[in-house]
Amino acid sequence: MTHVEKLDIPQGTLDLMILTILSREPMHGFGISQRLTVLSQDQFRANPGSMFPSLYRLEQDGKLKAEWRATENNRRAKYYRLTASGRRQLEHHRERWNRVSFAVTSVLEGA
Amino acid sequence: MTLLHRLASIVRWIARRDRAEHDLHEELQVFIDMAAADEVRGGATAAEARRRAAIALGGLEPAKERVRGGRHGAWLDAAGRDIRYGLRQLRLSPAFSAIAIATLALSIGGITAIFSAFDTILLRPLPYADSDRLVMVWDDMSKSEGDSRFFSTPAEWTEWRRLNTVITDLACSQSGTAILSGDGEPEEVRARRVTWNLWSVLGVQPALGRVFTEDEDDKGARVVVMSHGLWQRRFGGASDIVGRKISVNDEAYEVVGVMPRSFYFMPSRDIDMWMPASFPPGLRGNFTWHSAQIVARLKPGITLEHARQSMSALSLRVTAKDFRGPHAVTMIPLREEMAGKTGTALIILLWAAAALLLIGCVNLANLLLSRGEGRGREVAVRAALGAGRGRLIAQFLTESLVLAGLGAVAGLALAVPAMRFLERLVPEAMGAARLTLDWRVLAFATVATVTAALASGLAPAWRGARISSQDGLRDGGRGTAGARSHWFQHSLIAVETALAVALLTCGGLLLQTFQHLRNIDLGIRTERLLTFETPLLRYKDFDRRVAFVNAELEKVRAIPGVTNAGAISQIPLTITDNYRFYLRAGQPPNRFSEQIALTRVVSHGYFTAIGARLREGRFFETSDRRSESPAVVVNESFANRNYPGRSPLGKRLKFERLNETGYWYTIVGVVKEIRERGVAEDTRPAIYRVHEQADQANDSPSGIVVRTAVDPASIISAVRQAIWTVDGNQPLARIRTMEDIVDRQLSTPTQSTGLLGAFALLALSLASIGMYGVLSYAVIQRTNEIGVRMALGATSGEILLSFGRRGLGLTLCGLALGLGLSVIASRLLTALLYGFHPDYIATVAAVSVILTAVATLAWFVPARRASLVDPIIALRQE
Repeated sequence: MTHVEKLDIPQGTLDLMILTILSREPMHGFGISQRLTVLSQDQFRANPGSMFPSLYRLEQDGKLKAEWRATENNRRAKYYRLTASGRRQLEHHRERWNRVSFAVTSVLEGA
Repeated sequence: MTLLHRLASIVRWIARRDRAEHDLHEELQVFIDMAAADEVRGGATAAEARRRAAIALGGLEPAKERVRGGRHGAWLDAAGRDIRYGLRQLRLSPAFSAIAIATLALSIGGITAIFSAFDTILLRPLPYADSDRLVMVWDDMSKSEGDSRFFSTPAEWTEWRRLNTVITDLACSQSGTAILSGDGEPEEVRARRVTWNLWSVLGVQPALGRVFTEDEDDKGARVVVMSHGLWQRRFGGASDIVGRKISVNDEAYEVVGVMPRSFYFMPSRDIDMWMPASFPPGLRGNFTWHSAQIVARLKPGITLEHARQSMSALSLRVTAKDFRGPHAVTMIPLREEMAGKTGTALIILLWAAAALLLIGCVNLANLLLSRGEGRGREVAVRAALGAGRGRLIAQFLTESLVLAGLGAVAGLALAVPAMRFLERLVPEAMGAARLTLDWRVLAFATVATVTAALASGLAPAWRGARISSQDGLRDGGRGTAGARSHWFQHSLIAVETALAVALLTCGGLLLQTFQHLRNIDLGIRTERLLTFETPLLRYKDFDRRVAFVNAELEKVRAIPGVTNAGAISQIPLTITDNYRFYLRAGQPPNRFSEQIALTRVVSHGYFTAIGARLREGRFFETSDRRSESPAVVVNESFANRNYPGRSPLGKRLKFERLNETGYWYTIVGVVKEIRERGVAEDTRPAIYRVHEQADQANDSPSGIVVRTAVDPASIISAVRQAIWTVDGNQPLARIRTMEDIVDRQLSTPTQSTGLLGAFALLALSLASIGMYGVLSYAVIQRTNEIGVRMALGATSGEILLSFGRRGLGLTLCGLALGLGLSVIASRLLTALLYGFHPDYIATVAAVSVILTAVATLAWFVPARRASLVDPIIALRQE
């Protein structure tokens, strides 16, 4: 078994990823962490311990709205969904991120 | 919008905390359940699955803590929890809490009360414009047996005004009395004769009407400005008071203005009336009439020292022609003049209160440190549950803040009655002040409290948080903090002991001074002696005045319960100096300038009534009638100065007079020193004349002393009636017993000694509680070790000795440090010793013995407990 060291989530991008995941559909905490693992092709050390503070803060800032509902397995779980303000924040951050990563990539390739 | 949103969310979080906490718990539980179910699908056993899920989350409780910590307003929430936690801690150890809160209450309450007096007397601006630029200007007569603060002359005032370069303007005020009649009972009020510019120098406006003009002053117009108090009291606050004619000293004066309620000015707050000084032309060029108190406003940018030099030079020039020779001036800032010795006392008391607060904090820090060591396990558990280091420090500090806050509340409750006591310290020259817990005092108390919390909590918090990271849960909770921590705690003990020693030494010095002041021979018998004043302004004619005084004394002596009565121009101890230059027979006239004596005019029987003692010769007799060769009685200072080793009886002297021939007076008696100028003031040469022969004196015997066989207060109305049978319009003023006068004069030393003594005793008990506490904790913590040592053969004597050595070492260390500190502190104290030289060595010796005894008790009890440890039990505790 080859051991590939997992990456730490870059500072400040966890919020962006959470917003992106939730932009498709409302989801609960475990779902978000699973989706994060899958989408990042298991590259990130997605620590749920640090995901929850982000969720709560985003909710507090009005970017997310949370409600308890039943899962498909008929359990109660807390679902988060994006608010209008969260969607705007996502657009804004995504655009910034694109510019930053484009710029960084350009520099790296140009060197 | 976002901010509002956030605030709302913080409020929601706090308001619905239980719900939110419940939500969080459930959400994380659901997460663990889902993650575990996932692991089970991956093939793990149910138990292993749950374990992995919990690890993935980083532990349930730490995860919660991180969510709480990440939220906006988290600090508020944390503070709330810490406060509740702190309160719970306090309830868990009530004895510790009680000691800590009591310590803080006494020290915070003490410093707050002292600060309120300090603020009122020394910090708050005086009720004058730009009051820092106001100074009093006195003649410096220290070269001719007078004071360095001698009244100036109207002539000097005129010249200074004309020629000086450092002062914007200066105003002159002289004492005066005013008898009001016409509207109600005759009443004597305190009045001042002032130059028209007094108010412009002070920068004060009247509340009603105006002040008088230069023209009115020059022409001697009959106008007055009255105090708010008099306006309210005697005239019922009548709105038409301005312009009204009132009867003052049997003459009609027009009221031109009323001062605001807050106005007061030297020399005391109870002055009710200001009249124009209206110096007669002769007085304006007269450099001998020393009766003026001068206040000046320094020009902007001029320092006090510069002004002093410039004015002294000017004064030497102006008074060069004075037959007494030139003299310099003394300039004292108005505030210093008004506060007097009380100011010094307050500065020292504030220092003492600060020292006590420091001792309290040190003590508390030590107790917290000791307790912190015992709490290592609890802290480790909290750390394991996710509390970070900062969080732990914050929690420890919150506990100290809770303690200090409770202490402050209790302290403020103590401060209020203390402030009632301190109000009596406010000098008579200042406005009557009611000390209150206003915002300044509260702000000070808050700063003191937070400082106390930080000072006492920082070291324990730092240490406590560190213990957690080291010892963790490994150790059996034996909480050992190593040699370094003991070194720190020991230094704290030494520091607080040293401060206690310094306070005790100062307290001892003040106590001795106070006893000295109490035991001073005043030259009179103060018990059952009633004094009051009967202003004689209405008796301008000499013969009528003599007749009236003799008649009133006759009537007063006839009252049942009165054993004797006499009259004098100034009641003893009341510091109304009245000096004259004099010449002895055979001296050349230029010697006038060097010789100055207090002069008093008395009635027959005055000396007997007041209980004075004769050294030689005789007191006045009824045969001493008006004559051109009158008699005088002098005091011992006078006799010793002028006739050392000889009898002054039969010797002659005359007073400085300008335009007429003065009588030659013959000395007929020497009276033992009477403290005319005040209990704590130096004695001066004094000359007494009898009023029948005082036709060449300006003083009239308006002060009456009545010796009674009964309680003096019980005959006051009888005395009043007796005097009114002679003259129904004669007012009586300032009715006091001699004991009241003495108490009032000793109020600053009495109160400062009492307060400093109380601080010193508190300091001593706090320091011993501190030492006892630290050693007791050490014994508890080291019970195991002691058990081992005893099991290995140490005797209980050796154990006692090993703890005793530590206690004694600390005591001696603190003592040595404290004695060094005392040397500095006692230098600060000099002004409060009233020239008395207390026995420093005896004080230090007594303090050392007391401290050593108390401290020995404080360490002996825990050391003995250590020596009685049963090794079997101690080792079983493991």
